[in-house]
Amino acid sequence: MEIQSNDERAFRGVYEEVFPIIMRVVYHVTNNRDLAEEICQEAFIRFFDKGMLFPSSDDAKYWLIRVAKNLAINQVKRKVREQGMVEKLKQMPTSRSNTTDGEHVLIREETRAEVQAAISQLPEKFRLVIVMKEYTDMGYREIAEVLRISESNVKVRVHRARKMLESMLSQE
Amino acid sequence: MCVDDQLLNTYLDNELLEPWKTQVEEHLSYCNACKLRLSQLEEIQSRLASATLSDEEIAPSMERVLTYFEKNRFSEQSNRHLFLHKRVQIKLVPAILTSAAAFVVVFIASFVLFSSNPQQRQEILPGVADPIDSNHIRQVSDSPRQSLDSFSLEQIINHLDKLGYAVKLELKAITPLE
Repeated sequence: MEIQSNDERAFRGVYEEVFPIIMRVVYHVTNNRDLAEEICQEAFIRFFDKGMLFPSSDDAKYWLIRVAKNLAINQVKRKVREQGMVEKLKQMPTSRSNTTDGEHVLIREETRAEVQAAISQLPEKFRLVIVMKEYTDMGYREIAEVLRISESNVKVRVHRARKMLESMLSQE
Repeated sequence: MCVDDQLLNTYLDNELLEPWKTQVEEHLSYCNACKLRLSQLEEIQSRLASATLSDEEIAPSMERVLTYFEKNRFSEQSNRHLFLHKRVQIKLVPAILTSAAAFVVVFIASFVLFSSNPQQRQEILPGVADPIDSNHIRQVSDSPRQSLDSFSLEQIINHLDKLGYAVKLELKAITPLE
């Protein structure tokens, strides 16, 4: 089914499906939930304002993930330039949460902070692939489509990213 | 020979096609080293997955951004629609009033101008003057108009004679004899 991006009904359909995906991708790339929300909003604004016609909802999804991913990468690069990598890592853990189960939340946030710190240290091309693999339901083919690389390249990057993360997380 | 680490990763991601998938499963059924490696990979995967944002954590952001669109994008579309509606209404109302007024004027005028019965007209529209027609008009030019052509030459000469004028008549092209 074709998707007209500035048609409210079509927009809402895509939004329901894609927002959680790009929110997770952007969050794990930027490690900042507020920033992730802003980037998601910006990606959807571009999607709506451009009034594009997509051949299918999957094409709209890939476009949105691609735009959000690029915005996130640019934001991270800007932050790194502004603050320096070391300071950025110190500021990493974000603690905003709506749950009240204190201990459980604390453990979860600690785990999350460790994982996020490790992901942040991955080179960009590995980070993007592993984030998409682990935090969305996309397969190798879809990731390849979004990143415009080959499927076998995705396969190799997933493997290498896991290896690097394994090494980083086992040191902690 | 044990399964390659990359192949195990692909198997873990459920992306390994047949016949390799069955071969790997067969190997895993008896190779403890590969089973251990697979469980290590699964552990990394589940550790990474534990850091994901839950649906509950995403919901407030999703609502906020959607509210933004409802206020700034969707409402613009419906406002545009309303604006168009208003403009059409604004244009239509005077047009309808003008048409109604024109109809009333034509209706009354048809009585006033074309009615053949003045009594009936006075009953319908008392106070309205009778229309101008040939019966009501007395033309000033209808009174007999006098000019020199109305009198004979003799009458003119007599008249001038009475007034004391001496009249001398001459005919064209005839010269009197000296």
